[in-house]
Amino acid sequence: MASLAAPVRVSPLIKFGRWAALLTGIVYGSSHFKSLKAKETILREEEAKQAVIRNAQLEEEKKKLNRDEMIYLAGQAGVKVPADF
Amino acid sequence: MSKLVARIPAMAKAAVESTTPKLNTFVRYAKVELVPPSPAEFGAVAQGLGNIVKSAQTGAWKNLTVKEATLNTLVAVEVMCWFFIGECIGKGSLVAYQV
Repeated sequence: MASLAAPVRVSPLIKFGRWAALLTGIVYGSSHFKSLKAKETILREEEAKQAVIRNAQLEEEKKKLNRDEMIYLAGQAGVKVPADF
Repeated sequence: MSKLVARIPAMAKAAVESTTPKLNTFVRYAKVELVPPSPAEFGAVAQGLGNIVKSAQTGAWKNLTVKEATLNTLVAVEVMCWFFIGECIGKGSLVAYQV
């Protein structure tokens, strides 16, 4: 860089606007993040509780469907289903 | 691997040496252009705001040349971008709110 231009004398209004925008952005970003995070943690706890119940329900459904499928296959294959299945 | 580790101090020194002049030029410009307005300049800030408000009220903004209006728009866009930079800093992530 042979000869650098002299620094530009930026108007104070623009400088004030830039710094005001930067600080407002930081404050807004951090406050918005906090509020979103609070809502999300509440949702996550709800989901965790529901997940336990839902997993139990899904397990039961799976077992029932498995049993029905085995009985159907036995019928197709001509295998006799044991009494206590 | 040990040779690589042995070269690290030399590489770090070379990196610092090569970036110092660039850092100096950056600081030289930043001290004039990026520094926040000192309290002495607040009068000019208020005056500038008053000018904008008056020009909006009297309709004098319609008499600007298109080139001036474009430049003003670009400067306004740049100021808005600083808001988004601040928001990225505040939310602690570049792309999204990592909730």
